[in-house]
Amino acid sequence: MIATMRYEFRMQIRRPVLWIVYGLTYAATVATFGSTYVTLDLGFGEGLASKTAMISSASLLMSLLPIVYGCLIADRLIRDRLLGVAGVLDATPAGRTGRLIGKYLGTCTATAVPLMLAYFGRAVAYAITEGEPAALGWAVTLFVTAVVPGLLFLGALALAGPLLMPVMLFRVLFVVYWFWGNLIPATMMPTLSRSIFAAKSEYVAYGLLDYGSNLTIPPNVILPPEGIVYGPSPGASLNFLRPEATPAVAFLWIGVMIALAAAVLFLTRLHTIRTES
Amino acid sequence: MKSLDLWSYEIRRAGPATLLAPPALVLLIAALAAFGTRLGSREGNTAWFLLGALETGIPLVAGIAAASLIGRDRSVELLLTLPGGYRPTLLRRLVVTVGWAALCALAASVLLVATGWWELIPGAPGGLTGQLTWLSPLLWLSALGLLAAVTLRSTAAATSVVASVWVFEQMFSGVLRESTVPRLLYLFPTTRWGSAAEWLPNRLTLLSTALLLVAAAWPLLGNAERTLTGGETE
Amino acid sequence: MRIEISRLTKTYGGGVHALNGIDLDVPTGMYGLLGSNGAGKTTLMRVLAGLLRPTSGTVRVGGHDITTADGRLAVHRVLGYLPQELGVYPDLTARRFLDYIALLKGLDSRSLRRRRIGELLETVALTEHADHKLKGFSGGMLRRVGIAQALLADPRLLIVDEPTTGLDPEERIRLRGLLTEFAEDRTVLLSTHIVEDVAQTCRFLAVLVKGRLVFQGDVEELVSRADRRIWTVTTPGPAPSRGRIVGSRPDGGGTRYRILAATSPDPSAQPSEPTLEDGYLALMEAGR
Repeated sequence: MIATMRYEFRMQIRRPVLWIVYGLTYAATVATFGSTYVTLDLGFGEGLASKTAMISSASLLMSLLPIVYGCLIADRLIRDRLLGVAGVLDATPAGRTGRLIGKYLGTCTATAVPLMLAYFGRAVAYAITEGEPAALGWAVTLFVTAVVPGLLFLGALALAGPLLMPVMLFRVLFVVYWFWGNLIPATMMPTLSRSIFAAKSEYVAYGLLDYGSNLTIPPNVILPPEGIVYGPSPGASLNFLRPEATPAVAFLWIGVMIALAAAVLFLTRLHTIRTES
Repeated sequence: MKSLDLWSYEIRRAGPATLLAPPALVLLIAALAAFGTRLGSREGNTAWFLLGALETGIPLVAGIAAASLIGRDRSVELLLTLPGGYRPTLLRRLVVTVGWAALCALAASVLLVATGWWELIPGAPGGLTGQLTWLSPLLWLSALGLLAAVTLRSTAAATSVVASVWVFEQMFSGVLRESTVPRLLYLFPTTRWGSAAEWLPNRLTLLSTALLLVAAAWPLLGNAERTLTGGETE
Repeated sequence: MRIEISRLTKTYGGGVHALNGIDLDVPTGMYGLLGSNGAGKTTLMRVLAGLLRPTSGTVRVGGHDITTADGRLAVHRVLGYLPQELGVYPDLTARRFLDYIALLKGLDSRSLRRRRIGELLETVALTEHADHKLKGFSGGMLRRVGIAQALLADPRLLIVDEPTTGLDPEERIRLRGLLTEFAEDRTVLLSTHIVEDVAQTCRFLAVLVKGRLVFQGDVEELVSRADRRIWTVTTPGPAPSRGRIVGSRPDGGGTRYRILAATSPDPSAQPSEPTLEDGYLALMEAGR
């Protein structure tokens, strides 16, 4: 499993297109967010704490880059079959389950590297320019708790999806899923956005890191009586999937993401058992 | 007869996903048009969804399919040694892929006009000009997919580019509306902005820039070495 | 159709010299190109097929300069090409795959295509599998489909890269016969690392090593490189330590060794007649 993981990591990280496409998308993100990405201020005024800035940074990066992440992972599992090496790999001592997990972890880690570099690069820049080394600690905490669980699920989904349908169709559906299930406002239509099942979620930021309570709110913003709450969106359907953010719900979200990833991998393994018989 | 035989093979080469995805979307549109209101969706919302499927959905399918055209070809080394070269073959496949998506979009728009839904879409002009609602983004994303595939020589990368541009345009419609050039190049003004003063110039700009994208891809496609080597096995 | 190559160099990105100053003259008939894996054979085949542009040097095929668009088109009109790894469309049957390629090669008449494909399927012994989908074909069967497609338009120049890979002995012999017959009034360039294929089919050959041409001439000349250097030793004990063992097989109570050595490797060694393979190995030894 470790050997497979190392091999897959190297195979993926050496793809020049991985860096080119991430680079283009990152540039587009930075260019579009412009001053917001420079200040990492999502509109809550001056006096940003490093924690708030790192949450903003994660939120901005996790809007477009996961599309690249998913599309680049989508061809990895079916590639062995297309290249005709599946048979050779089956004959190696590594078990199929071990190989699947190794491939999953290796590919996902490698594909996440540019995203990590972008995120931690911004954190280092923030720490230096603002004189706030604490930003680095928050960046690590945020990345592990709020970004990695989502990436684990998306990685499993992108790896396994093309087993069930042509990879081209999967990519179309993945884009639609990302837009519909993570980016659109919850009130727009029935969606998984902002729910416990959304890979891009701020449950950890609000529930675990207390994001909403220590924001500096400009005086002209009128808050609802209950304050800033991440969870149910007034007027949206499927609100039962959007419990109010608390530490327990944040952990629940992390658990849901990991469980979904595990379930997808388990189904993938079952699928390979079915196809090999 | 020869051309009929050849086209029948090219249609087959398009693959089930390319052939089935656009009509599946049209069926979805038809179902939504027929039962949307009964399912509790407000009339305005339903009209917006129908337009969204037409202006953004079908072009996305066409763009991703165009981006996948080269990488999917297993016989590319052989095709590059044929007297006509690879370009005519690729062009035929592009025509099948994009033409089929366009035909499906046309059918959907005719359906929407016939059932009266088209009139409920704010900002969508009627008549033939109205067909630019889907035609412009469809051709532009397909041309982008083709150019990305030839430039990056990887289906994964090319589809990522198309996908990112699609999501980007959806997410940042407000920002892009603020300045002239992005406004003229914006893919989904009918869905995202409703009525727009520069709707027709925008549609025509997209069509002409799509041509530019294809023109940029064309010489690269003629370079056999580039098509054959350096790319990724998908 | 003559192929004239002069000072041909092909360097890939990253400075990898795949071909280095190749001068080669290929006459009409069957011509073998030998070399180990990675010697540059496929690169040379691809340059000749107009797929790769030379970094420097000239390549003329039938008088056409392959580096110009017109020259490439002229060559493609008379070329049959079997790449080392022929990708096929698995959803098509062998007959329909050949029909598609025939259409792309400009065989417009349906009846002509039908007849030609029927003949070729017969020639490569695939008639009974003609209407089976290619996804179920073995490696050897796919190789035969590849040969059939290369011969579709009755090419004047046939470039075949490792055509016998994956074929069983019977298929290999049939293919050799087919290529030899085909080469009577045409040029067939056979690239392979299997010396026996060249030995059985070609009069002339060239040998590539690490992108350089180390030999060109006739088969006898290459065989003669091993003259008086092949020895046979039969011993029950360990193999003689001198010379390079190029073959061994059990013989009675001991082992019979075939050894390449400039002088007798053992007091009991008997001189033996060299084969093309011995000549090839002698050439490789001399180059070390």
